[in-house]
Amino acid sequence: MALPPPPSLPSTLRDPKSLFFQQDGIRRAIIASYWALIILALPLWWYTTSIERLSLPSTRIQQLAHNHLELPIKICLETREGTLVEQVKSQLLAGKSQDPLRWKGLAPEVIGSADCGKYAESGAYIVKFKSGTPMSINDRELHIPSSSEYTSALANTLTSLIAPYSASSDPDNRVVQYSPHYRLAFSLLNEDAAAGDAVLGWNIQAAIRKYINPITQRLSALHNFTVESQVQFHAPLAFLPRQLDDVYGIEPADLTVFVNSAEWTLSSSSSNDPVLHFILFIPSSQRRPLRILLNDGKSRDSTAFLLPQWGGIVIHNPPTPTDAALPSQALHIVFSSFANQLSSLLGIPVLPNNIDQHSDAGVSDWQLDALTRRRTLENAEGSRDTLLSIVKLVNQIENMPVGPDVRDDVEGALSAFHTMSESASSSLAQAFAYSAQSFVLASRAFFSPGMLALLYFPAEHTYAVYSPLFASALIPLLVAALREYLAWKRERKEKLEREREKRE
Amino acid sequence: MLSRQYLWPITLLHLCLGTIASPQEIFDEKLSLNTLQDGKVASKFTFTTLLNGASPRDPRTLHKEDDSQHYTLFPLALGQILREYGVTELHLTLNAGKWNYDRWGYPEEKGVGTGAELWAWMGDGANTTIDERWKGLRNSLSGLFCASIASLDELRTTSPSQSFAPEGALPDWDLPHQLRHASLPSEHVCTENLTPFLKLLPCKSLSGIAALLNPHKLFDADWHGMGVHVLWRGDEGVEVQLTFQTVSDPLRITSRKSQDWSLQSLFDRTVDRTCPVAETSQIFVTLPNRGLYSISPEPSVSKNGLAIYDVKSVNKPLNVELKWPEAFNYPLSYSSGTTPFSVKRTLTGSSQALGRLSVAITNHRTEAISVLYLETMPWLLQFFLHTLEARIDGVLAHDIISDLTYIPSVPHSRPTTFQALLHLPPKKTVQIKMDVTKAFLRYTEHPPDAQRGWDLPPAILVPVERSQNDSSSFTPLGGPVYTSTLLVDLATPDFSMPYNVIIFTCTLIAGLFGTVFNILTRKWVVVRLAAQP
Repeated sequence: MALPPPPSLPSTLRDPKSLFFQQDGIRRAIIASYWALIILALPLWWYTTSIERLSLPSTRIQQLAHNHLELPIKICLETREGTLVEQVKSQLLAGKSQDPLRWKGLAPEVIGSADCGKYAESGAYIVKFKSGTPMSINDRELHIPSSSEYTSALANTLTSLIAPYSASSDPDNRVVQYSPHYRLAFSLLNEDAAAGDAVLGWNIQAAIRKYINPITQRLSALHNFTVESQVQFHAPLAFLPRQLDDVYGIEPADLTVFVNSAEWTLSSSSSNDPVLHFILFIPSSQRRPLRILLNDGKSRDSTAFLLPQWGGIVIHNPPTPTDAALPSQALHIVFSSFANQLSSLLGIPVLPNNIDQHSDAGVSDWQLDALTRRRTLENAEGSRDTLLSIVKLVNQIENMPVGPDVRDDVEGALSAFHTMSESASSSLAQAFAYSAQSFVLASRAFFSPGMLALLYFPAEHTYAVYSPLFASALIPLLVAALREYLAWKRERKEKLEREREKRE
Repeated sequence: MLSRQYLWPITLLHLCLGTIASPQEIFDEKLSLNTLQDGKVASKFTFTTLLNGASPRDPRTLHKEDDSQHYTLFPLALGQILREYGVTELHLTLNAGKWNYDRWGYPEEKGVGTGAELWAWMGDGANTTIDERWKGLRNSLSGLFCASIASLDELRTTSPSQSFAPEGALPDWDLPHQLRHASLPSEHVCTENLTPFLKLLPCKSLSGIAALLNPHKLFDADWHGMGVHVLWRGDEGVEVQLTFQTVSDPLRITSRKSQDWSLQSLFDRTVDRTCPVAETSQIFVTLPNRGLYSISPEPSVSKNGLAIYDVKSVNKPLNVELKWPEAFNYPLSYSSGTTPFSVKRTLTGSSQALGRLSVAITNHRTEAISVLYLETMPWLLQFFLHTLEARIDGVLAHDIISDLTYIPSVPHSRPTTFQALLHLPPKKTVQIKMDVTKAFLRYTEHPPDAQRGWDLPPAILVPVERSQNDSSSFTPLGGPVYTSTLLVDLATPDFSMPYNVIIFTCTLIAGLFGTVFNILTRKWVVVRLAAQP
């Protein structure tokens, strides 16, 4: 027999189900509202934790991989002999199939005409046959003696003028990477001025005007140049030159460590433009003359050498007693070397030996065009590779943000690339300008610092931070929801059974 | 790039003009040695390069291609930075230690505030703002001197133009010039800063007086600091002054009680060779005004209590030596003839939220002096300006503080600039006190390394008098006096165990959430107990 409940207990406690907050509906509403809150908060959570990844024109970039730039080169032979034209044409084509790397992106087109002048405006090269004069070039013209021995070599000459960059022309990658802006830093370094007989100054501005400016002005369509110079009075070497009978020698192995960047202050951090260094090194008066040794231990005649993609160095052994300022004769020798080094660093092709140059322009139109074509093709390739790498990288790393600046740069690079392809057939200068623009924009997008933001915040990290927080709150919620659902199901079943019993 | 074709003739013209007016460069080096009252020796190296006929870059031309820079003696690396950002005047000092004005007198090189201090005057009118150029300048100098100057950011940058008047001339461009000043007391000078500094010298540390700059000895000194000062001397040209100042203690390195010193004992080197490009190269030794002493070798010139050695003409190796026959006795009291007042600044209060800044200034003179007191305080410490009070011998004195300028700090961005004119009565000590509140930092604002508190920059006091014609400006009567730096301890969370912190937080959240959720959804049932038999 059950004990009668104490009389003081209120009736609701005897049956908690009748309490208003113990009603099933209320309890289910509470649980549902928790879940509703979580579901409503999900978009907010998603919005605040997602990374901005704007879509890149991937398909258009992928198409670039098959887009190979062809720069047409029009050559007009001023002759009526159709056989000669056909001969040159077939020889050039044979050369192209023999060495496809050298002719990559170049499409020579040979025409014969009695009056080639009408083609000159469209940038065609004109070959004129003149008897009695040596082979020479002038502007975009090639003058060639009209004897048979020369005409047979015509195709070879044209090849070395139009496509001068063969696999053997730049064996140690001397040519610097393209940049729209270079700094040329000239340094006069005295190994030890305090030891006496030092060169304390040079007429740098006159020398640059005379030897360097002709080159930089000629290339002004390709690059801009900033020139600077300094003089140092103590520039010790990092190694000891070998003492021979009457000279001091630098061994070939030491040339690679000649630049003592720990002791010489050569460049500063004020800009990001690539610097080409030109160093005039004056050995200490106790170590003169200083010469460069060959592998067999003999000293070389020249004291100039070039560090690929870095700059040029000239060692000058002044006579004793030394003038405080560098005399103009020495300046001529030194700066002629610097000018040569600058030319080869910038990739200006060398003219074939048997060709005379008419004008005193220094760099002929043939050379400049060849260089422009080379840079255009390089830039186009660089830009295409960079764009493809960006797409690949962005697809690979899912946490990498892609902001509007990156997207705009990529779009800009892509449109410049297309404009370049279109203008390639009409104007070389324009094609080059667009290729440079495309390359610069693509590189800027690739090195955009904004893309690094979340690279080092991997997904595992997120779970490690979230899971303790969410697990402790979500598990009770889940369990409660499950329990209520089961209870509701059971109740419904019981209700149905009761109803069935009633009917029966 | 097409327009380059038309630019070339202009550039050529520039180059031609440049050759005609080719600036002449003059380099002078100087070392002055001074025996102090407490037996220490103050030495100051000064290397001056004057770029004759040059002028600072006009900020209106900053977006254009600059003229070519061709230097013989002037440091190219520094010249590039100055021209890149169009800086008219620049002062950078990196010091370690506290300059003791009372014992050592006023320093020859006046920028002796502890840590790094950078201030620059720049002309406005470029198409980039002054603050962008200031930022670029900081970053470039950071790179050049391997110092954390880049962290002299907006949190520390102020513009107290009255206390930092330009030392050279400002070009007449019809453009306003603006000052930017920042200091970082926790930055210390060390060999990695000296190496790039030496590279700016024409003779590096290989010949001339600069050969004495031996890092082992310099950084062993009781006080050491380097400075870079660039200013425009109007008609003469742009001058770069590189200075290095030390206070070494000869009594510390000998076992005898002797204050004898020589170049060899101070720097562990002698001057063996002259710098071939130095116009003048001189060593100045201040001769003691009392007692017996002997100096060797015989100086080239000796006048006004100064012994002068012309390094170019004297026999080398040169090892200047000063000797006293008697042992050194520390003086019982120090008298400072060169500093009219002395300052003590402290931060009191033990809590992490509130404190009190107190400055005691003693006037040593028999006449009243006026001093411009400047605090450039990062927002870490915020002033309660209404609690500012000045007392003399414990009695409130209202007429001491006047001409108060106050730019309040903005949390997380701008520092406070507080400037006031103080009138110091003769032979009295003035106590200035102000309550301060300490900041509570965001967790990302705490430095990632071991923490010892936050260094606060020194206050600066400049003796001034009111200008005759303009009553709101002041004419400085002497150089600035830097107070010691302060250290403030801010509330710092325990960063040592981030995962433990996360776990603790989670436990707390789980506990709170669980309890509330449980109460809300618990099902109450009455359990009827079976009747007892």
